[in-house]
Amino acid sequence: MSFFKQTLALTATGLQGVAERRGSSLVTVIGVTAVVGVLVSLLAIREGTDIFSEKNARPDVVDVISRGATSTAQSVLTRDALSAVERAPGIKHAPDGRPYVVANTLVSVDVMKKDGKRGNVYLVGLTPGAALVQSNVKIIEGRQYRPALHEVTVSEPIRRMYSNMNIGDKLKLLNTEWTIVGVFAGNDSIGDSVMRADADTVMTAFSRNTYQSASVQLESRASMQTFKDALTSDPSVTLDVRTQAESMKNNFGQLTSLLDFVAYFVGTVMASGAIFGALNSLYASVDARRREIATLRAIGFNSGPIILSVLLEGMLLSLPGAFLGALVAWVLFNGNVVDVAGLIFKLTVTPKLLLISIVWALTIGLIGGSLPALRAARSPVATALRAT
Amino acid sequence: MKYLPLVWAGIWRKTSRAILMLLQIASAFLLFGLLQGLNSGIKQAISRTHSDRLYVGSSVSFGVPVPISLLPQIKAVPGVKYVTPLVQFPAIYQKQGQGIPMNGVDPEAFFGMFSDYVVTPKSAVETLRSSRTGVILGSIQAKRYKLKVGDRLILQSQVPRKDGTNAWAFDIVGIFDVPDQPNGANAAVVNFEYLNEARLADRDTSLLYIALAANPATAGAVGKAIDAKFANSTYETRTQSEGDLVSSQLQRIADIDLIVGGIIGAVFFALLLATGALMMQSIRERVPELAVLKTLGFSDRKVMGLILTEAVLFCVFSALVGLGLAAVILPAAKTFIGLTAMPAIVFVAGVGFAIALAVIGGSVPAWRGLRLQVAEALAGR
Repeated sequence: MSFFKQTLALTATGLQGVAERRGSSLVTVIGVTAVVGVLVSLLAIREGTDIFSEKNARPDVVDVISRGATSTAQSVLTRDALSAVERAPGIKHAPDGRPYVVANTLVSVDVMKKDGKRGNVYLVGLTPGAALVQSNVKIIEGRQYRPALHEVTVSEPIRRMYSNMNIGDKLKLLNTEWTIVGVFAGNDSIGDSVMRADADTVMTAFSRNTYQSASVQLESRASMQTFKDALTSDPSVTLDVRTQAESMKNNFGQLTSLLDFVAYFVGTVMASGAIFGALNSLYASVDARRREIATLRAIGFNSGPIILSVLLEGMLLSLPGAFLGALVAWVLFNGNVVDVAGLIFKLTVTPKLLLISIVWALTIGLIGGSLPALRAARSPVATALRAT
Repeated sequence: MKYLPLVWAGIWRKTSRAILMLLQIASAFLLFGLLQGLNSGIKQAISRTHSDRLYVGSSVSFGVPVPISLLPQIKAVPGVKYVTPLVQFPAIYQKQGQGIPMNGVDPEAFFGMFSDYVVTPKSAVETLRSSRTGVILGSIQAKRYKLKVGDRLILQSQVPRKDGTNAWAFDIVGIFDVPDQPNGANAAVVNFEYLNEARLADRDTSLLYIALAANPATAGAVGKAIDAKFANSTYETRTQSEGDLVSSQLQRIADIDLIVGGIIGAVFFALLLATGALMMQSIRERVPELAVLKTLGFSDRKVMGLILTEAVLFCVFSALVGLGLAAVILPAAKTFIGLTAMPAIVFVAGVGFAIALAVIGGSVPAWRGLRLQVAEALAGR
């Protein structure tokens, strides 16, 4: 008989045994389900933060921050510095001559979640250039804020997550009442976590005289170097220019690597537990068929197909757990909107995570099957045949 | 006690299976120990905070600067002993990755209220008060960069200065240590006045104020009095105790209880089924042996008791292996959470879970042991 046929026949009888040992097989499936469920749930957080990753960055948009600042929150941009930015070469200009430059200022604001817990969002003050650089941000309800009137617009997720965030609601900050006049959607990734208002109005209300950073849309990607050289060689300002991708990496790189570490660390410890469980289950499977396997070996079956069949059994046994675990995580968490340190995003179970689940489940089955497979192939035929 | 050898023999009846099961239970409890250890370590850190230290910040959000004009008004609130402004500038020493946070404070008030900070020499606080460019450096940083009193410390901060540079030069006038909290001595405590005058933005404001209540018992009332004083003014305040501040900052990052609970729940659910199934299998194989015990005069209850004892001993032992491993690993996370040893409560809870696991997982097989009919069992039916 060929290698392939032998393996097939052995695997088939092994799987018949699975039905007989329903209890222990079910335990293996549930064990793998738990591992994959937890792993996918934790990775779904990380996938959710993917909207803050470099791949969402616009290649033609660069951020200008004060030199030395590692994040936009720490940057300081004076009005003089902003004029220097607006005069720099390489910037895209509207037909009427306005440069594609938007400066912003951030204010952290405590707000109450609908469940009564305290959360916080950023109120971002934007100069009028926002309409040019962030033309993808559209008002979906109500209207745009107007300068000098203490009006703000909120993102759709903020309206859903926090109380008192509907159009017409008032927000009291430093004894000034701000009115929510509109809801916006569709924007740069962190834009979903913020409220927007006019920069000068925000700065007056919070007694500031400096902006924090600026975003600039260039004529083309090629003008990046010209723009950067002009600004960094200007002795009157101390500024750094970063591509949007670099900014995002700087601001969120640590967060994503921390989330990755937690998910894979917890996953690995759980998976090792599941491997021990699978080992036990497959040892039982092999033990129950000792005589059968010995007989087959006596009549000429090779040890290769025997080993392979046990490994296959292990992998087939753990495979349902991959789908079940991913399904559980998807049902429970996919699309849940969460906020971490003021950033709002959706937990996302992506096809990539299903693929990771399958790889993990197969690995658990493979390792879980390895030792029992060797035992099956090695136990002396004579002894095994005498076993009761 | 005399049945111990019998129970022992039962556990190791199939050595490889027992070892695998032990490892499976141990890995679950390793995870339990690590996660719960971190979680209760954080809780302990919160409970260790000083309730008499009050953090006064803007009601808009902590981190929105409050004007320096609030300082004398807070000081005037009855029951307030000390007040200091606090501004924090992240800074680096020599090169990226060597971060030293700069804390700008009123030196006298700051070290007065953080009385657990030990400053050497003692006169350093007075020196810092009178010198604009002095710094009292945390002992961790002093050791790490081999700095001593009298040395010059130049820090690069992201916070821009009026003069357009980023370099802040200080003279080290003292070193401080925090004996209760070995990780606390990592900052550079400098004069608020100096930072305030030299910085480009947010001049004459403070990130927040720390006030010390003269009597810890009335700290809550003092906090309310401070907030009441600024109610309906332009700069409304929100005063939090040290513990509230730490826990609200953590809550902002993630609902740790929920995540830990979810993971532990999934782990124990799978483990319960695994131990239950394995015990069933083990009892099924031992039916003839149990029947022999009954023939020898063991009562139904005793057989059931033996099975349960075996399960409990085994689970507790395995759990202790996992928890012990966690206790060895956990102090490695010291730098993040300031935990030096696994809290005893985690051990107690872990053993409790192990017993529950054994009793629930072992009850069905033990019930079978109880119901065993000797004649049938010996006949192998």
